[in-house]
Amino acid sequence: MNFGPIIFLVAFFGLCCSWLGLVLTPQIQIGRLQQTNTIPAGVVYPVQRPGLARQGLAVYRANGCQYCHSQQVGQTGTICDVVLTDAGTNETSTLVALRKVRPSFSEAQDRQLLAGLPKTIREGITKEAADAAVKVINASGAKATAWIVPVGPDIAEHWGARRTVAEDFLFDYPVLPGTQRVGPDLANVGMRLPDANWQLRHLYAPRSVVKDSLMPPYRFLFEKRRIGRSPSPDAVNLPPELAPEPGYEIVPNPEGSALVAYLLSLRASEPLFDAPLSVAEATTASTNAPAQATTSTNAPAK
Amino acid sequence: MPRGLAEVSEIDLSCRLPLLVLFISAAKWLVIGWIFELIGSLKFHNPGFLADYSWLTYGRVHPAFTNAVVYGFCVQAGLGVMLWLFAQMGGVALANRWLVTVGAIIWNLGVTVGIIGILAGDSTGFEHLEMPGYASILVFIGYLAIAIWAAVTLHERRRRELTASHWFLFTALFWFPWIYSTANLLLVSFPVRGVAQAVIAWWYSQNLLVTWLGLLGLGTLFYFIPKLSGRDLHNHYLALFAYWILVMVAGWGGIPASAPVPAWMPAISAVASVLSVLGAIAVGLNVCHTLGCSLRPVRGLPQLSFLVFSGCAFVLAGVMRAASALLVTEQTLRLTWFGPAVQLLDYYGFFAMAGFGAIYVILPRLLGVSFPWPKLVRVHFWVSAIGVLLVVVPFAICGAIEEARLDAAQPFVTIMRSSMVFLRISTMGDLLILLGHVLFLANLTGAVVGFYRLRARTAYSVLTADLFKPAGARP
Amino acid sequence: MISDSNKSDPLDFNPAPPQARREHVPIWLLVVMFLMLYWGMVYFDQHSGWFKPEVYSPYHDLAEVEVWQPVTGAPSLAQQGKAVYNKPTCVACHQPDGNGVPGQNPPLTGSEWVNEAAPGRVIRIALNGLNGPINVKGQSFNGTMVPWKDVLSDEEIAAVLTYIRQNKEWGNNAPEVKPEQVKAVRDKIKDRSAPFTPDELQKTPPTD
Repeated sequence: MNFGPIIFLVAFFGLCCSWLGLVLTPQIQIGRLQQTNTIPAGVVYPVQRPGLARQGLAVYRANGCQYCHSQQVGQTGTICDVVLTDAGTNETSTLVALRKVRPSFSEAQDRQLLAGLPKTIREGITKEAADAAVKVINASGAKATAWIVPVGPDIAEHWGARRTVAEDFLFDYPVLPGTQRVGPDLANVGMRLPDANWQLRHLYAPRSVVKDSLMPPYRFLFEKRRIGRSPSPDAVNLPPELAPEPGYEIVPNPEGSALVAYLLSLRASEPLFDAPLSVAEATTASTNAPAQATTSTNAPAK
Repeated sequence: MPRGLAEVSEIDLSCRLPLLVLFISAAKWLVIGWIFELIGSLKFHNPGFLADYSWLTYGRVHPAFTNAVVYGFCVQAGLGVMLWLFAQMGGVALANRWLVTVGAIIWNLGVTVGIIGILAGDSTGFEHLEMPGYASILVFIGYLAIAIWAAVTLHERRRRELTASHWFLFTALFWFPWIYSTANLLLVSFPVRGVAQAVIAWWYSQNLLVTWLGLLGLGTLFYFIPKLSGRDLHNHYLALFAYWILVMVAGWGGIPASAPVPAWMPAISAVASVLSVLGAIAVGLNVCHTLGCSLRPVRGLPQLSFLVFSGCAFVLAGVMRAASALLVTEQTLRLTWFGPAVQLLDYYGFFAMAGFGAIYVILPRLLGVSFPWPKLVRVHFWVSAIGVLLVVVPFAICGAIEEARLDAAQPFVTIMRSSMVFLRISTMGDLLILLGHVLFLANLTGAVVGFYRLRARTAYSVLTADLFKPAGARP
Repeated sequence: MISDSNKSDPLDFNPAPPQARREHVPIWLLVVMFLMLYWGMVYFDQHSGWFKPEVYSPYHDLAEVEVWQPVTGAPSLAQQGKAVYNKPTCVACHQPDGNGVPGQNPPLTGSEWVNEAAPGRVIRIALNGLNGPINVKGQSFNGTMVPWKDVLSDEEIAAVLTYIRQNKEWGNNAPEVKPEQVKAVRDKIKDRSAPFTPDELQKTPPTD
């Protein structure tokens, strides 16, 4: 078999297969994704990041933050809690229902429970068991809900309430889910650390806020300038050992402000059909942009 | 010290100029790239090291390192070896060596512009594709200028038989421009929307590091190991089996399990990673039996040591990738230091070592001179081998420990603090590897300098022999 | 040529293609390959969700994702209504606590207009807006409320009115409003584009 073009054809076939599978099909499936609705509130998600945050993404990319920080929260499973929200009018029937649902507790403990609602009455059970428990409680006149809780090591580290999905990155360019975790995952850092001053201080002197941090200081995102008539509202609040001499202040330059705006816009914990999750109240539009008055339906996005 | 100029075959003569440009540039990029890696590595021990310079921040120095090594060294060394093998195996001179040289120069220009662009902050952000658009076009043109003439050389071959090496190398010729152009078009020029960008970036990374470097490296291995050990290749069809696995299966891996993409993509990648271990087994069997299942052929031949180490690294990398895909904890294993360990094993432990072995064999034949410091070849081998192990093994262990601790939900800062001891060992490994590269560059440039000096001396003596003939010697 | 050994130089080899034995691929390797392919198919079947874009790990298929959706049955109208209220629709003028702005925007908390048993009037206000002096909880307001009939659907108006009317924190306790009721009113007044005035509303019975 000495015919050269055969090799070419085999190679072409091999490449076509992986191209069709991992380039074309993802483009068809998720490259044309549109905004979706949160469940159950039906709010549109996601919305485009504000302009300064988008510039911040360019700073994030230029400085290679994705080589130490990921933006992908994983999830290994989902469990259900049962939350009692309303004790109902008939206490005896409620207590009977509670005994049925959690027989290992005493009646005195159940009574105590009814005092400060809402309270979790069962934890870590399957959805079927939770639905059955909710039915029993609702039949007695009280009100309970099945609370969906994603679990996983990343969620246990408080890096997010649910796993990240394709919709979380819909409007970003470039999408940088990260290659390694030398630092914590940043997918929800805007919810976890919403304080702009903390972020600025962390960029200026990481070890002053996180002891033994491996992150280098990013002083080139700041400038030191003389205080004018009054201190700038953007000035970073630093501890005395890092603060500049009196009469000077540290302010972020445009890149620094943009990067912080981007970090503060990072939230990926809205409950979606793809990543179900119970939240405390019907949420507003995800706060990485001003809410828009778009029509939304009650139906889950499919 | 170099002895007299030996006879150089016509084919080697035709390859000399382009391959010298390719190999010396490759060696130079390796040294530059590893200096970047060392800077990055030192930043872990002292985060304030060079932190005030925005162009030296870790996020810029690290992609500069990977791009310098992959595009600066791996591609150039691979192309050079491919050109030489096509010419020699086909028994025909290299086609149009001037244009190939120009292509090599354009390639180097492109990589230089790209690295400067990355340090300036123009990185595209996608791993292994960080060179900005204006540099990738130069790189692509340089590649085409070289690849077209490699294909022509193959077409004009006198010995028509196609060995297993031909399969690997000819496929590699096309693979790179296809994946590079696809990735650049869909990510840089006309970006797709949303997380599809990340999928294509992962596809490209996998195809570049695992499939393409695998094709080039295995093509090299399946030629040089039989030749240097003086034995037959154990099984031609086993080599083709490895080829099929690499081409059909390995390109599907690369999507990590925690990726924000629908479940079928990480599932396919996991299956592909596990199936690729078959290719690793096939290569291991072939190399082992070709050597006669003993290390005796290696004795006295550091060039062969490089190639055998490379074969072992290929097998190990395949097994590590398969194991990490099978374990339930692959959830985040790829995001720990385990990921860089496997990657380094791919492009350095496997490919670069094969490149070193091949270049150490090819260069003396091209020039007709021996290396000025032959013993340094063996030193280079040991320094590189130990260096690679000192980086890969601590990283892999560190990654596994990190993963176990994350599963136990320990606070992240304590997990990172405990990885410091492994990082220290890996920095020592990096230093050793850099030393090896300096030795490599020194030997190469010494050989070239020695060649030109000898040629000048020979030309001078020929010239002066006529002038200073003793009187009365003329007939 | 250089040589590290005294024997004939292994580096000085004939560059022709190396000889290769052509045996068949070991059978055991092919058997292992088929076993792995089988494992691969089983793994894919379990973990992939069969190419559905809504299925993310750890869920195994679309049915499982649907089982885990947070609310069993339809989400309550009041819950959705709160979301509609907090889009900058009602909240901008009537404020998050429902107390409005004194002298400008009437409160919704404990308002007699809100708490009427039948929702006809509030639906009309929500659809077409309101213009003219209105008396709420003894205070007089004279402003304009924008119409929402072109912006919000029947379901949304029903939801937000239910939320307002059933908000116990605000002291409201009136029956919910169903989307069909909103639709019925919308059809009745579809020819009218101008906002209502309080006097007109007083003349219209709430059950209409």
